[in-house]
Amino acid sequence: MAVVGIIANPASGKDIRRLVAYGTVFDNQEKVNIVRRVLLGLAATGVRQVVYMPDYYGIVPKALDGLSSQHHLSLEVNPVDMELTGTQIDSYKAAVEMNRLGVGCMIILGGDGTNRMVAKGCGEVPLVPVSTGTNNVFPEMVEGTIAGLAAGVVAGGRYCGSLAVHPTKKIHIYKNGAPVDIALIDAVVLKDTFIGSRAVWDAGRIRQVLVTQGEPHNIGISSIAGNLEPVGIQERRGLVVEFGEGGITLKAPIAPGLIQPVKVRSHRTVEIEEVVSVAEVPCVIALDGEREVEVKEGDTASFRLTFDGPRVVDIKLALREAVARGYSREEQVTRL
Amino acid sequence: MELTKEKLLDMYKTMVRIRTFEMKAAELFAAGKLPGFVHLYAGEEAVATGVCANLTDKDYITSTHRGHGHLIAKGGKIDLMMAELFGRTTGYCKGKGGSMHIADVDLGILGANGIVGAGQPIATGAGFACKYKKTNNVAVCFFGDGASNRGTFHESLNMASIWKLPVIFVAENNMYGISNYQKNHMNVTDIADRAAAYGIPGVTVDGNDVIAVYEAAAEAVARARKGDGPSLIECKTWRHRGHFEGDPQVYKKPEEQEAWLKKDPIPRLEAKLIELKYASQADLDAIKADVQAEVEAAVRFAESSPLPNPDDVFTDVYAD
Repeated sequence: MAVVGIIANPASGKDIRRLVAYGTVFDNQEKVNIVRRVLLGLAATGVRQVVYMPDYYGIVPKALDGLSSQHHLSLEVNPVDMELTGTQIDSYKAAVEMNRLGVGCMIILGGDGTNRMVAKGCGEVPLVPVSTGTNNVFPEMVEGTIAGLAAGVVAGGRYCGSLAVHPTKKIHIYKNGAPVDIALIDAVVLKDTFIGSRAVWDAGRIRQVLVTQGEPHNIGISSIAGNLEPVGIQERRGLVVEFGEGGITLKAPIAPGLIQPVKVRSHRTVEIEEVVSVAEVPCVIALDGEREVEVKEGDTASFRLTFDGPRVVDIKLALREAVARGYSREEQVTRL
Repeated sequence: MELTKEKLLDMYKTMVRIRTFEMKAAELFAAGKLPGFVHLYAGEEAVATGVCANLTDKDYITSTHRGHGHLIAKGGKIDLMMAELFGRTTGYCKGKGGSMHIADVDLGILGANGIVGAGQPIATGAGFACKYKKTNNVAVCFFGDGASNRGTFHESLNMASIWKLPVIFVAENNMYGISNYQKNHMNVTDIADRAAAYGIPGVTVDGNDVIAVYEAAAEAVARARKGDGPSLIECKTWRHRGHFEGDPQVYKKPEEQEAWLKKDPIPRLEAKLIELKYASQADLDAIKADVQAEVEAAVRFAESSPLPNPDDVFTDVYAD
């Protein structure tokens, strides 16, 4: 029986970029609304069991509570057994537990930062990342109903094969030779001392960036790569960019509504498995938009690009394939 | 954002001053030496400190019934505060106000306040004055999670947003309105969500990380000074003490207590200062000793000050 996991991060979409840029305050009630539609989508595909990450807001229980009586779900919905910390660790722990339970797919509500935590624990389980964060390159802006339908057909396996699930790239972060963290989209070296409020919004402090993907239509630091030399999600390469005088100045949307000029000194392609040294120490390294790693005087740091990131569902492809296999037909129809 | 060693050490000293003052107040209250109720700020020091480090004496704050931390962070004199707690004539309110009514207009402190949510319209009015007089100053309103349920909160945010007033609303979400767990008194857990209803920015920060609070407040204050209007900053924190001194705190779970004490803002900043080699343990110990001496001196000042006369009850009732 297909089981689907839901990880909805109650803390996404509330950081300082509402003050320094024009990020939306993504209130948790809207996440409740999205999850409600996700559940209805899942139920329509025949999924009978859902497990979810418990959270301090109670997003999934509230989604269930608000369903009208005519939409009573034939779903068994249960929280995974985990102790809440109220921090980003919860998303990681939930992913580990869902992977252990053998779910067929996980639906993630959050931004790049949430998906980074999930990626550490989800193993080979395909993800349907739904954008509710600030800088959203990894997740998609997708209607919750459609996310539920796509996750349902992938988890069931009957209507959708592995072609609709694609691999992604990942950056491994090393400090003094030891792995300390990962990034899914970008690792950004900042001339900073503190993690503080975590977000990145001042382009003047960026010294070096490695991206797994970057398009001009991205929001966030990876858009700088997109405006230099775009890197596609499936291309077997990344791009490293160094900042400073002596190169070109270009503008890029580094946060919502914040299109800043950035001085690029140089950039080059990075191959899969290539290691890139962090050139300027001390520094703070931001991962997928959040300052995470402090590198002190005397430390060394480096990045390694790989193609072993989480597997992600191509929603359009998954639903097309499912339609071709007849998932939406309740009776045979004659094609004219 | 640059934060100098001097600024960080200054914020550390402020946090230690608040904690030391509060623990002394707890001791004095338990000994029966303070005639009124006290609501202590221990555990929440990073919020007042990180916010007020971005303000000048010309900027305003409004405080709450848990106001000692705000007053100290804004530069309030601890000898006058202590004398007020003792009910002495040398206190900020000549001994007639007690803990919940301390004000110092010269420092922009528009008063602690015994009424939950009462500071919000006062801060909004101060913000209006700043804008009307074109002073480029700002008003900061500190309040708790329970106060964000009051009509004054919604009226103030509405008015501040339509007039784009230079007000920073700082929600100190310590998870309890008196003894009532937040989940039982509001249907949202992030007070920052409420900003959306008024079309202003709302952010949530770790209220036990003074650097995170400082950064968020710096941006909100800069925004307000530029004329871009109000902001709501929610600081997630936790009070170490009860709602009031003597509160048995039966509503707090031991595991919650254990988890939050590990996030105590003062040891967190100490660890950072030592890691960055901005201070040695001996330097930090010396700061603590200095502050302890300040607080002891404040107690001596208070204890040696006279009590008001019965006739004083008729003075300072109306403005001249």
